[in-house]
Amino acid sequence: MNRPQFQPEQAREIARAFAAEAVEYVFIGKSAAILMGFPAITQDVDVFPEKSPVNGARIVTALRRVGFEIDAETEDGIRRGKDFVQIKNGPFDLDLVFAPDGIESFAAAKSRSLNLEGFPVASLRDIIASKRASGREKDLLDLPLLERFREEFERMNTPALRSASDIAAGRFPKKES
Amino acid sequence: MMKNEDKGWTEFREQCRRQMQRPMEQRIKYGFCRMYKPVLDDAPSRVFDTMAEYRAWCAANLPDYLGFKPGPK
Repeated sequence: MNRPQFQPEQAREIARAFAAEAVEYVFIGKSAAILMGFPAITQDVDVFPEKSPVNGARIVTALRRVGFEIDAETEDGIRRGKDFVQIKNGPFDLDLVFAPDGIESFAAAKSRSLNLEGFPVASLRDIIASKRASGREKDLLDLPLLERFREEFERMNTPALRSASDIAAGRFPKKES
Repeated sequence: MMKNEDKGWTEFREQCRRQMQRPMEQRIKYGFCRMYKPVLDDAPSRVFDTMAEYRAWCAANLPDYLGFKPGPK
């Protein structure tokens, strides 16, 4: 299977297709860190979607729209929210991780996520927690790099301080968009 | 930042800051590089009921050098 590299326009295309179908998801893994500016290379795109039949149906529609060939078994896996669905017969390699290690729930990850130029990305702390919990050699090798990147990212993206009255009123700093 | 951090880490931090200042298009353009991975790339798709099943499949089927096997505790 020889395919061209993942292109910026494809990233926009998948984000647009997911938005058009109202798919609930965040980018996760090294691909998400790269969107944030992590200076590294990866080969595939990792997505953490909400696990529900409705969201699964939306994902299938969106993926077909951008050129993925979804066979019956894969469609069933996505609709049921099987923990891990790997798709390699689309315009780029895509992993749908419905139950990433180290993250308690999609709702929690979503609440901590960022929106970077239309790309919903998991927080770096969640990305790191997930890689640490996976325990794989390649993920463990990334950890010292990701920890330092997180420190630099948080230094450059310090959220605005909230006053006690802001906290009491439930006012939160606006996320980057 | 650690006070006595190696020069290599200082340079990596500088690289992080430079990369964060680059436009999204460049981060994507230079951040994704596809190479053939034996076994892993030899099926159009795979579905695993649980992450444990996926990890077990990786450990049993993928070459060690791909790094998908459990690392040292």
